[in-house]
Amino acid sequence: MDSSVMLRPLLEQAAIPGTLPDGTPVRMLAHGAVGDVARRAGASLRRTEIAALEQGLVPERYLRNFTTLDAAGQARLLRARVALVGLGGLGGHILEGLARMGFGRIRVADHDVFEPTNLNRQLLATEADCGTPKADAAVRRMALVNPAVELDAWRDRLEGQDFARFYADADVAIDALGGVAFRPAAEAGAAAAGVPLIAASVAGWTAMVATALPGERGLAGMFFPHGRAASPPAEDVLGCQPPALLVAAGLALSEAVRLALGQPPRLGGPGGRMAVVDLAAVSLDRLSLRG
Amino acid sequence: MHITVKCYATLQRFQPGGGEDFALDEGGTVRDVVLRLGIAPEDVAVIFVNGLHAPLDRALADGDRLGLFPAVGGG
Repeated sequence: MDSSVMLRPLLEQAAIPGTLPDGTPVRMLAHGAVGDVARRAGASLRRTEIAALEQGLVPERYLRNFTTLDAAGQARLLRARVALVGLGGLGGHILEGLARMGFGRIRVADHDVFEPTNLNRQLLATEADCGTPKADAAVRRMALVNPAVELDAWRDRLEGQDFARFYADADVAIDALGGVAFRPAAEAGAAAAGVPLIAASVAGWTAMVATALPGERGLAGMFFPHGRAASPPAEDVLGCQPPALLVAAGLALSEAVRLALGQPPRLGGPGGRMAVVDLAAVSLDRLSLRG
Repeated sequence: MHITVKCYATLQRFQPGGGEDFALDEGGTVRDVVLRLGIAPEDVAVIFVNGLHAPLDRALADGDRLGLFPAVGGG
């Protein structure tokens, strides 16, 4: 029998009453029940969670996503495909946020291994991981944080045309690369794949995030159109630290949720502007990449 | 006339004390401001005037908000 047919009664049977912190009653699936039902129906965790949400049952792990998300929105995130290049300072925090929000299909790419200088900021970097591939750490982290995430980890160095292949079929593309060299190719690849690109970059206390719809100029096209800066880029002087990285990751995540839910972008596109946060002055500026 | 100037990231060390109320002669351009602040024009990657991308030779008007950025690409 088709697993989706088997899921419905098993989910109904496993449903229990729950409440949101404000007292609103919800029907939910206790944490362990998702795995039990998935095993008995022969379905993946992701499919099981989607089926539950379609029946109005909230998996316990997503309860605090409500009511910012509703059941339809949570199911939509679980169905979404996100492609994220870079698993360093930005990428590690963004991946963590995507998984906890419940984005169901995530493709990541990083060819690099961890080194001790990554330990000041990179969520996936631990003492034990120095010298090991970042993509492997991402696989281990997803298994620990949200095993419903179907992670497709690429270990190649993406260049030129590779980005169009990497971003193909995604609903949301994210550039979390470190440095300027490959960002223009990422921007061109997302445009070629017809996928909106959220690009984030930081240096010192400065965080910036912009969205480029296919055919629009994005962060790379504006700041380093040839993949190099005229003088050393600011991060080579100021370094990269968690405060600005976490702000940039939060901005990128909020935009990824909007795009995955089918809402218009706020950090680019016809009605949006890039966001620049300066944590030294605690200022937010909104700037247009058009014209 | 007076404009607002904000210098970001590595350019922040050139931020003028009175950046909210920066005095400039009529017809002054972005380049004039950059040179007066002691910034090498090649160190400015992107210029915004009133939130919109602008070239170095843009003439500024009273009340304009000028933002000067170096290249920022870290992660």
